[in-house]
Amino acid sequence: MIPQLVTIGWRRGGGGRWRRMHVPVLPVLVVLSPLLLPAVLGGLIACLVFDVSPAGALRGAGRLVWALPGTRFEIEQGDMGVLVNVR
Amino acid sequence: MMNEQRRQVLQMLSEGKITAEEAERLIDALDRDRSPSPPAGGSTTKTRPKYLRVVVISDEGAGGDGAAGVSGGDGSARINIRVPLQLLRAGVKLASLVPPQALTRANAELRRSGVDIDLTQLKPQQLEELIEHLDELTVDIDSADAKVQVFCE
Repeated sequence: MIPQLVTIGWRRGGGGRWRRMHVPVLPVLVVLSPLLLPAVLGGLIACLVFDVSPAGALRGAGRLVWALPGTRFEIEQGDMGVLVNVR
Repeated sequence: MMNEQRRQVLQMLSEGKITAEEAERLIDALDRDRSPSPPAGGSTTKTRPKYLRVVVISDEGAGGDGAAGVSGGDGSARINIRVPLQLLRAGVKLASLVPPQALTRANAELRRSGVDIDLTQLKPQQLEELIEHLDELTVDIDSADAKVQVFCE
């Protein structure tokens, strides 16, 4: 399943509290779809230039995106912190 | 059921279809199948781990408030990373697409930096096997001011 919600959190120093931003992936993809097509075309051209199989690259990238849900990065240092959670 | 299989093995032995050694091996295998009897009420189905977890808790310069994994002191740090094993597999598959000329250039740069590793010798199957066996990995480092844990769950 493709990621549905990406949560980005951060906390600044000085006793600040956690701030979180929830990004719904599908609506954002729909909004960015006009840019997505040229990006995919650019990627395919880059594949041909660098002698990489475009089908393999597309399949690999898809597999990577499909495997993203469940990923979580949480780093805190003192009062500061950053969090990325993919669901 | 088990006795029936044992009888079949003995029958094959008596008919000369298998040797005594083979019969012994088969009976041993039947015994091995029977021996790991499940504990009462418990399930033996071991679920395969799905995630690789890296947890680092450091209390450098803090007043010891990080014992429960909560940062907050001046120098205390906490890293909690969870990566799906499927993502690692996908990454390995994607890395196998890197063209050979890029690998030779990477090799040259690595050698120049003093790291003599030949990336072209690294086969995707080997990396996949490595990830396959990651679920048995457990690293647990516990020092006075830091704790590092790497495991699969």
